[in-house]
Amino acid sequence: MNIARVQWPDKVRTGDVVKVRLLVQHPMETGYLQDLTGKVVPRNIIQLLSCHLGNQEVFRIEPSSGISANPFFEFFVRATMTAEFKVQWIDDKGVKGQHLQIFNVM
Amino acid sequence: MNANLNSEVSKADANADANADANADAIADPIPKKGGIDRRHFLKVSGTASAGMSLGFFLPERAHAADTPQLNVWIEIEPNNTILIRYARAEMGQGSMTSAPMMIAEELEADWKKVRVEYATAHENLRTKRAYGDMASVGSRTIRHSQEYLRKAGATAREMLIVAAAQKWNVPASECKASLSRVTHAPSKRSLTYGQLAVDAAKLEAPKTVQLKDPKNWTLIGKSIPRVDIPEIVLGQRSYGIDTQLPGMLHAAVAACPVFNGKVKSLDASKVENRRGIVKVLNMGEFVAVVADNWWRAKEALREVSVEWDVGEHGTLTSAAIMAHFKAGMEQSELAVARNDGNTVEALSKSAKVVEADYFTPYLAHATMEPMVCTAWLQGDKLEVWSSTQNPEATLAVSAATAGVPQANVKVHPVQLGGGLGRKSPQDFTRQAVMIAKAMSGKPVKMLWSREEEIQHGLYRPASLMRFKGGLNANGKVEALHIRVSAPSILATLLKLPLPRGVDGQAVASFNDHPYDIPNTLVDYAQRNTNVPVGFWRTVGHSQNPFGRECFIDELALAAGKDPVAFRLDMLPNNEKSKRDRSILEAVTKAAGWGSQLPNGVFRGVAETEGYGSWTACVCEVSVNAKNEVKIHRVVIGIDPGYAVNPDNIVAQFQGSVVHGLTAIFWGENTIKEGRVEQSNFHDYRMMRLNEMPKVEVVIAPTGGFWGGVGEPAQAPLAPALVNAISAAMGKRIRSLPLKNHGLTLKVS
Amino acid sequence: MNSQHEVMKLESRVRRTALRSLLLAGFAMPWLFGRVVHAQRMNSGSLLSLNDMVQPIVKGAILLNKDLQIEAPLLADNGSLVPIQIQVQSPMSAQDHVTHIYLLSQRNPVTQMAVFQLGPWNGRAEVSTRVRLAGTQEVVALARLSNGEFRYKQMEIIVTESACVDAS
Repeated sequence: MNIARVQWPDKVRTGDVVKVRLLVQHPMETGYLQDLTGKVVPRNIIQLLSCHLGNQEVFRIEPSSGISANPFFEFFVRATMTAEFKVQWIDDKGVKGQHLQIFNVM
Repeated sequence: MNANLNSEVSKADANADANADANADAIADPIPKKGGIDRRHFLKVSGTASAGMSLGFFLPERAHAADTPQLNVWIEIEPNNTILIRYARAEMGQGSMTSAPMMIAEELEADWKKVRVEYATAHENLRTKRAYGDMASVGSRTIRHSQEYLRKAGATAREMLIVAAAQKWNVPASECKASLSRVTHAPSKRSLTYGQLAVDAAKLEAPKTVQLKDPKNWTLIGKSIPRVDIPEIVLGQRSYGIDTQLPGMLHAAVAACPVFNGKVKSLDASKVENRRGIVKVLNMGEFVAVVADNWWRAKEALREVSVEWDVGEHGTLTSAAIMAHFKAGMEQSELAVARNDGNTVEALSKSAKVVEADYFTPYLAHATMEPMVCTAWLQGDKLEVWSSTQNPEATLAVSAATAGVPQANVKVHPVQLGGGLGRKSPQDFTRQAVMIAKAMSGKPVKMLWSREEEIQHGLYRPASLMRFKGGLNANGKVEALHIRVSAPSILATLLKLPLPRGVDGQAVASFNDHPYDIPNTLVDYAQRNTNVPVGFWRTVGHSQNPFGRECFIDELALAAGKDPVAFRLDMLPNNEKSKRDRSILEAVTKAAGWGSQLPNGVFRGVAETEGYGSWTACVCEVSVNAKNEVKIHRVVIGIDPGYAVNPDNIVAQFQGSVVHGLTAIFWGENTIKEGRVEQSNFHDYRMMRLNEMPKVEVVIAPTGGFWGGVGEPAQAPLAPALVNAISAAMGKRIRSLPLKNHGLTLKVS
Repeated sequence: MNSQHEVMKLESRVRRTALRSLLLAGFAMPWLFGRVVHAQRMNSGSLLSLNDMVQPIVKGAILLNKDLQIEAPLLADNGSLVPIQIQVQSPMSAQDHVTHIYLLSQRNPVTQMAVFQLGPWNGRAEVSTRVRLAGTQEVVALARLSNGEFRYKQMEIIVTESACVDAS
């Protein structure tokens, strides 16, 4: 099961440029490690992650195995109006994740 | 929730902005100013030795005195002409605290009798954005990696002093000469000491380029200068990490789960909590700590804390299962290829004669004489650490992260190490000490591992299974060599590094880069990790692979009916690729008198290999009696390190390497039962005794033109040379270590 | 870096929090399909030059060493978790903004550690993340601007624990 956590400041006013912090629980397996049975743990990383505010895409990242496990991202977004904040991602196995949170703008 | 996040971020930001105090500097390293020790001085001081030792180590930071001009970060010159040279790595008995300053002093034209050496610190290195460069003492590379910039630092300061004198006398700098801490203008017969010139010199701009001396003009490098720390060691004044004393200091004894990677499930400290002197019992998840007013009380109490460990699925691991795991690796279909010349499989199928052999080397704990020890003191958000570490920058970074304080708030005070051997480069024990210091916030805590803890929570030299297959043509020439290694990867497990093409360079060291002129070579690797944690043991992959390689070369020589030395020389043409292998082999076999008549029952063995940028070779002479006692008649071991900086120190390093090496060869192994290491102390992880030490003849044969390491290379050819001799004596091949498992012991000399 | 603390707190909250995110097995996300997933070429473990690192992306466009800051620890305690923050000076207006920020590694098996896509809606061209570094190396941050030009900065990060194997 994938879990994501998103944070931004409590009070957001129209026009504010706010910092968004995002943490996704994902092992980001590099594919370089051998387990204790001698088998390579196959690569499984988040290939693509994007954030939308309403219908507007506000952030997109294509990670590689060079991004640490439990990927953490910080970026900024200009607040216009209250909207649904949606994070979506897909990994090597094709498993998709999503997190929804209301982005309240005063 | 979010408001808290923001305020914590801004507080952390403010801390990060505050700079370390401008007086951050090395602790004065109390090297006696007198040149040497005489008997009266020794007797006088040793009488008060116990008082001296209890004085404690904590000295206030030595502030930059306004009248001690600094010519560059490495060199300060006092008005009385004492030259302070900084040393930026660790001293653990390898002697580079002497040889590295020699690099500087040579170019500086310093009078060594007036040189004092002080540590540079990791916190000063951080503050100056790494003005001292790399500070890790690993990989036998202190001299070979720093020699150029150290010599340049000395030369730069020398030029500034000359210019300062020339300006003072109003003469051309070209007419001035620097020598023995003094600048002289011969035509006018004037001279000034460095102490007299330093203030002016320090104001000058450093020259952009400097000329380094031709090695043939060296007056210091190449001399057997006594180590700068010897007087203090002999007088019992030298402070090792274990000697750290601080006001109000507490002591911690620790125990991690006997089964690696286990965790505390529950603990019951009721028996010891209220005992005299016991301050606190800590459950740290991965380990348990008892903090007390002295270490003995802590250690004894720890034994009576009852801990229930969660060992996960690892509580059934045995050495036999590990061997089966390695053997499965030999047969696995996917292998990482480290070298592939020609078509080895095909060549082997057509060879006139094929020789096959499996070799095995065991897990080895380091057993540094000083166990893991680290003192940490967290006061608010300021942290001070005294860690016996080979890597003070790693100590700084890990300490800061563990304590949750900015790196700029951490001071790592340098101490002498009672042996490092590669165990004290990882920071697992530093992490523990800082976690304890955090729990005991405000009080300094010295955490010390018991010997049992050190042997059972090692970062072991990996056990390794090596398979060799060699093909000879009708003339007894090796035309194909296939080497397969099935072993854990230190790089992948300890350092979590991705392996280029799946190859761990340490696991195949001396195989993938063997110098022999063999047209078909295949080296492949099966990464077989186990729950036993592995790490860098002195000489690392070269502590075991040359044993396999050089013993197998002897097996091929035997099959070809050829003398082992001639057999090797045939495969080492005098070209760029193998000329140094050839020359060290010739130098050592000549010194050993290879080919000359030996008394009845005495046999010789030889080995040669490159390692750490140096070329080494060894010849051993042994006899084995009916009781399977091995008498070592001679060990002739040599090195071509390019340049021999301090010959006496090389001899000392080689003698020490022979002690460490013979210990491992005869008795060294850590076996696993029920997921844990069976050995615990020197009664079952035996060290070599004084009366077992053979005479070691060291051949130093520098050919110049390169800089090779000295700290580790000696162990590489020792095991194979010895085992080749023993195999010859016994008329049968020995293919695994330690020798005790073959019923062999070392005869008292 | 100061945010390491906060990330750790964030992480522990994630672990304790009940499931709020959804695993979407059959959910249609058309914007994801049709993406070309570039195979990530593995390097041999050698150190790349700056040119090797940036030119496949820059392809000869204007590249200037300015307007970009990297904040990362000089000494990294752990090569698996190195915090890094990139700031680019830009008005982030419709006419003049950063479109992409690339994080490049001199030494990792995969050179392009990540690429961030931004636009005027971000208001500020600043991103942070945590990276894995395969040993001491130079890290390069490369920003593509809306006018097709690039800005870059490089920084050496010392991975202290891998000193044993790093050539220096």
